[in-house]
Amino acid sequence: MFKVIASRMIVPNVHLLTVEAPEVAREAKPGQFVILRAEEEGERIPLSISDWDREMGTVTTVFLNIGNTTHRLAALEAGQNIPTVVGPLGNATDVEKYGTVLCIGGCYGIGSIFPIARALKEMGNRIITIIEGRSSYLFYWEDRFKAISDKMFHITRDGTKGYRGHVSRLPEIIKDIGEPIDRILINGCTFLLKKGSDASRSLGITTWVSLNPIMIDGTGMCGVCRVSVGGTTRFACVHGPDFDGHEVDWEELLQRRKTYMREEVIPLRTSKCEEHSRKLTG
Amino acid sequence: MALNSVNKILDFAIEQEEEAARFYTELAAQMASRQMKKVFESFAKEEGQHKAKLIAVKQGKKLLSAKEKITDLKIGDHLIPVKLQSDLTYQQALIVAMKAEKAAFKLYHDLAQSADDAGLKELFLSLAQEEARHKLRFEVEYDEQILIEN
Amino acid sequence: MPVAEKKKLDLNRREMPKQLPEIRRHNFNEVALGYSARAAVEEASRCIQCPKPKCVSNCPVEINIPGFIKAIAENDFARGIKIIKEKNCLPAICGRVCPQEEQCEETCLLQRKGGQIAIGRLERFLADWEAQQGEVELPQMEESSGKKVAVVGGGPAGLTVAGDLIQLGHQVTVFEALHKMGGVLIYGIPEFRLPKAIVSREVNYLKKLGVDIMTDYVVGKTRTVDSLMEEYDAVFVGSGAGLPWFMDIPGENLNGVYSANEYLTRLNLMKGFLFPEYHTPVKTHKRVAVIGGGNVAMDCARSAMRLGAESRIVYRRSRSELPARLEEIENAEEEGVIFEYLTLPLQYIGDENGWVKEMVCQRMQLGDPDASGRRRPVPIEGSETVFPVDAVVCAIGNSPNPLISATTPGLEVGKKGNIVADEETGKTSRERIWAAGDVVTGAATVILAMGAGRKAARSIHEYLTS
Repeated sequence: MFKVIASRMIVPNVHLLTVEAPEVAREAKPGQFVILRAEEEGERIPLSISDWDREMGTVTTVFLNIGNTTHRLAALEAGQNIPTVVGPLGNATDVEKYGTVLCIGGCYGIGSIFPIARALKEMGNRIITIIEGRSSYLFYWEDRFKAISDKMFHITRDGTKGYRGHVSRLPEIIKDIGEPIDRILINGCTFLLKKGSDASRSLGITTWVSLNPIMIDGTGMCGVCRVSVGGTTRFACVHGPDFDGHEVDWEELLQRRKTYMREEVIPLRTSKCEEHSRKLTG
Repeated sequence: MALNSVNKILDFAIEQEEEAARFYTELAAQMASRQMKKVFESFAKEEGQHKAKLIAVKQGKKLLSAKEKITDLKIGDHLIPVKLQSDLTYQQALIVAMKAEKAAFKLYHDLAQSADDAGLKELFLSLAQEEARHKLRFEVEYDEQILIEN
Repeated sequence: MPVAEKKKLDLNRREMPKQLPEIRRHNFNEVALGYSARAAVEEASRCIQCPKPKCVSNCPVEINIPGFIKAIAENDFARGIKIIKEKNCLPAICGRVCPQEEQCEETCLLQRKGGQIAIGRLERFLADWEAQQGEVELPQMEESSGKKVAVVGGGPAGLTVAGDLIQLGHQVTVFEALHKMGGVLIYGIPEFRLPKAIVSREVNYLKKLGVDIMTDYVVGKTRTVDSLMEEYDAVFVGSGAGLPWFMDIPGENLNGVYSANEYLTRLNLMKGFLFPEYHTPVKTHKRVAVIGGGNVAMDCARSAMRLGAESRIVYRRSRSELPARLEEIENAEEEGVIFEYLTLPLQYIGDENGWVKEMVCQRMQLGDPDASGRRRPVPIEGSETVFPVDAVVCAIGNSPNPLISATTPGLEVGKKGNIVADEETGKTSRERIWAAGDVVTGAATVILAMGAGRKAARSIHEYLTS
């Protein structure tokens, strides 16, 4: 059992969960993920590690409350226990001296790219951060990013902060940045990863993305997380989760992510019904 | 080089084997894991043996008869070509080898088709048979080691 | 009974009741129902108690088979189970999933007359009888040696090593990557062939013996083998062959194409057949093709059938070459699984949403036996056939997961990623590291993994006490 230390919504629909998992915290590196189960009957889902504290033995994830299991995780309160936190899984992001690195995070990826940006900064890179979202009220951890970024930009769909629109405005933003970029890293939803990779392709800048396909065990056993990268099938859990965004077969990945879309909401609905009928019948 | 004499053709075939050995040796050097290095080194060694055999043929030893029937299991034909990377698996290594041997077979087969001289045609067909036999060796290995029904 | 009266040979192998095919194809409950005490005693009484029993030497863990059978015949079930447990700590499992027909039962003298003793069924009977008695008797334990052993992997090999070493007085911790112990017994073999409650029972028995169990712990990720070596006197690696292979044909990444591991894990470990009560989703498909012909393929095809699909096994050779146990083949046939023999998929074709809709296959014929004597499938030109499918399960090939070998420098590994270990002792190329089971041999059977685990445990014990 793993104890929940903190659980709260940080901006609408985006949730922060800190659990006690000292062995995971001890080994965690930027870019890795954990697999969690919210309850005994629960499914296993992968979540990127957004932070950790080796002394306290805690691991923090930030996730979008979007489906059955994330809904259940979001409903947890500090002091409760969850049955599974296993990791750290996947390979760490390559943290090297690249020069100037552009870190783009959207949604939960704002949280998961933070430790990567921090490690890159400590390595001596110049860090330019772009955070992206529907509206400015969905941004979080801005102070943390400011502390490690040499420059910081925003993109909002509604234009409430920074550039208006989507990450496809990247070429223009990079022009405005006005300095050469050696590497781009993107964390967030598959759509953001795809758009960002598409936008940077013509600029010829190496772009690495952290993929988030469906997983079960997270250790290479089931193969559900397979993605085509440069014409080779890879298991995101053991070969990734980071891949060259210009080589990923995005259409296939987007299709594969939709496999269980219909089933995703059924347990949610059923459990709500049960709750409701329990209340009615006392 | 026009392949218009037995010696020229054999020299060409020997070069092809050398080329193949070089290819596997280079792949071995690229492999990240020790066990896959060994696999490709052993493939290179096999090509070396093929070369030795052709040298012996030049000195009078007989090649396989062009009429010999070598089974074509066609295992490699429908598999997706492997992209060469440093972390190839044994399965991928065998696919690379099956496809390479098939290509070699096809090369000699095509050369035989375009040869006018009956003797040279026969020689090309014999060389094709040799390659077919190499391919079968990899196909059998794939059949035994990879297509395992769990 | 007058001494002179010679017992007549009874060749009538007692049948074990099963759920009827038309019923069981709709549920996940165990198919075989087990002997009644009366049937067990009758079956056991048929054993002629050979003076030099070949069944024992053909058992990978050398159970005193005539001994426990005699106990059953004498109605002394308690003595019977005790005899089995001297050699086998997982009898309820082995009685169900061992291929007895090619081990103990194959060498039974009555086999020649077609009436070999149903050794597996009797083993199962004793294990189930014991479980019904409630409190299980704990074996004699050796005094504590003060030595610590880390066992990596909670499958058949690991469970055996843990059970043996704890009884010999060593402190044992098992590290399991998944959230439940049992390895392939939990994620792979379906409920209808091996009820999970039985696996839990055996695991609980080990806990009672004092084995420490750490689930959700990925050695190679959460902690390396070398880090374990700092704390433990010996490390045993029994991490199995959990890496699925695909065939590398076009269309394998379409939605609806699964590895057998994924398909079975969703159903068994995650209990997807109880969705939505359990939250892991499982699709209900209309037409499922399972590629392969081993026990895993049978498990997948029979599972698909139980989920309501038309279920089809696609196998490259013919029925007589099927590597699955005959019992499982017959069960699958009775349940209505369709067998496409001499058939090989060439590619999968998807619909506009990226879901598999068709499978293009080629018909094969068996060639002449080659130098090794095996007849290999050769494609028949122009025999391409298209099957409409909405799911495909690939049950071909599995190799050891590289997580451990890749993070343990100096550990010698074979070309298929298997750890190289001595067959008799399980010793690897590294001091104080042993390995056995599928991680060494590639995918094999539960009992072979247990047999190899037993030898490794013996070697570890020798090392720890010398």
